[in-house]
Amino acid sequence: MKPADISKFATLLVLVFLSFSCSSDLDFDQIDDLKLEPIVVANLTYFNIPAKDFIDNGNENSIVFDAQDFNPFRNSLMREDLIKAEFNFEITNTINRAYKIDLVLIDAQNNTIETLSFNIPAYSGTTNILNFTEVFENQRLLNLKRLRKIGFVITMAAGPALTENSPGELKLRSAGTLNFDIEIED
Amino acid sequence: MRKAYLIIAILAHIFCFSQNKQILYNFTSIPQSLLVNPGADVSYKYFFGVPALSGISANFGSSSFSAYDLFADNGVDFNDKVRNVVNKSSDKDKIYTNQQLELFSGGFRIGGEESKSYISFGGYQELDFLMYVPKDIAILALDGNRDHIGKSFNLGDINLRAEVLSVFHVGFHKKMSDKLVLGGRIKLYSSGANANSTKNSGFIYTTNGTADQNIYYQYISSNLELKTSGIGAFTKDEYDGNITKDLIHNTFFNGSLGLGFDAGVTYYYRKNLQFTASIIDVGFIRHTKDIETITYKGSYEYKGVNPSFDFTNEPENVLDDFQKAIPRDTLYNKYTTWRPAKFNTSVEYSFGESRFDDGECSCKTPNERLYVNAIGAQFFAMTMPKDPFVAFTAFYKRRLFRKLELKTTYTVDSFSYKNIGLGVAGTWGKLNMYFLVDNVLAYRDIAKANSAAFQLGINFVFQDSD
Repeated sequence: MKPADISKFATLLVLVFLSFSCSSDLDFDQIDDLKLEPIVVANLTYFNIPAKDFIDNGNENSIVFDAQDFNPFRNSLMREDLIKAEFNFEITNTINRAYKIDLVLIDAQNNTIETLSFNIPAYSGTTNILNFTEVFENQRLLNLKRLRKIGFVITMAAGPALTENSPGELKLRSAGTLNFDIEIED
Repeated sequence: MRKAYLIIAILAHIFCFSQNKQILYNFTSIPQSLLVNPGADVSYKYFFGVPALSGISANFGSSSFSAYDLFADNGVDFNDKVRNVVNKSSDKDKIYTNQQLELFSGGFRIGGEESKSYISFGGYQELDFLMYVPKDIAILALDGNRDHIGKSFNLGDINLRAEVLSVFHVGFHKKMSDKLVLGGRIKLYSSGANANSTKNSGFIYTTNGTADQNIYYQYISSNLELKTSGIGAFTKDEYDGNITKDLIHNTFFNGSLGLGFDAGVTYYYRKNLQFTASIIDVGFIRHTKDIETITYKGSYEYKGVNPSFDFTNEPENVLDDFQKAIPRDTLYNKYTTWRPAKFNTSVEYSFGESRFDDGECSCKTPNERLYVNAIGAQFFAMTMPKDPFVAFTAFYKRRLFRKLELKTTYTVDSFSYKNIGLGVAGTWGKLNMYFLVDNVLAYRDIAKANSAAFQLGINFVFQDSD
């Protein structure tokens, strides 16, 4: 075999090989359809106030309050891709007094966006766990995204006097369930 | 869309070879086989590679899915495909690509006609990318944590390395006797860009809280670190250069430097029973140019935004606390990376002496006669951030003519259990050409391939008789 023949033979081999090669149809544009829809749960707020905390120097304090900075929407994912938020509250009162719990949602201008109010009856001897759910969608969610601060106001209703030794506590546990819709092509 | 192009670019780049060059290994009609075993039994008076055409190789591998699984044009929702791929992958599955382009190469015999000592040298550019499937992170992104209460999402699943470098090398091999060939090679590495995030750990954990805790017990422990060199400048807003141009410049003229060596041996137990072994890229790169290390280290228990009614507390911000607990830090420390070291070994049995009617008489002494057939086995191992990559190969070599040789391989590795490779190398006159293709079965439908590789090249080789 002369070199020229070998060269032809090699070329033929390569051509035969390449002609066997093929590929299924691929559509790389599909990546634009990528949509992540994670559902994330996270703690929202928690407190547990013993009865004695409503007594100050022997006198009843019928209102306690606090405010906390809380601006989760400075995160762009929370601002742009959150499509639904559900807050679940679980409140247990073992104090012999009724309460009203107000969670005041406050924006950057210190305006109230809305107030979530829960009325809690006095403890009557059996543990009573109250559940409340608040769902934020559409306009209500848009409003929520202005949140910068949460105010906590607990108002005690009239009832049998409390002392430093009164038993019981007012406990709130809560969490949010956040539905996201994250699209690559924005 | 830019992300789409990026992924396509990565996939496209990939159609080059795997670091396991099982067809090239010990295919001694090809001078480049010295690069996988500097002690290979290659002889020449001198040779040089056709610049930029002497060694082109590329490979890719994806152990758990193929391009078809993700991008098939079959009407299945893309998000379902992503979910399927994530579900069938494990955190040990990897996506791997390596590409090499030999820029120049050559070699010559030293010490006169009777000498059997050879020098070889060259320079090549290499791109290396390895990423493990970040399975837990993908599940968290797809599902969130609600349906995975009690699961600890492992941040150690984030594990990748990428590098563009150039390598300049000089090697020496000597046929010590009829039975033994020894060789070694010194390498100078110049890394133009490196990203390394292979020692991460930590977890994201959510479980139900006890009665005296909030609804959930949520804890993040993070020990994340990404080291880069030669990349930081490109990520700055004020950068307005040409990334490709600057990257090439850095790779060849302004890289972070390193040193390494290769070593190899060929031993003939009998004339037709041969053992070889080599170790390649035992070396390091000291990253000193444009270095940047980003870390997220710390731990935090997220209890919620909790009021305190004692009137004495300072206003708190739970999100600021989180960022203080797990801060993003940028460091500018030099660091060292080790090159992925490779180990090859083979055993080869030859049979069937040649009777080629090529004008040369069969009057040669039996010692110089060529064998027509060879069968054997090879083993390959390479260091990786998690478990080492290993591959087993069985091969058959056949000499069609005195100067045209075929090699076919069957390889089992973590990418494929049916990888058949074909190689052809021929010399006509002084022109030496080779074409090696890995995983030929996959070429029936390249989109469904879990791995593929090819190598080709052209050299001029001069023997004594020429």
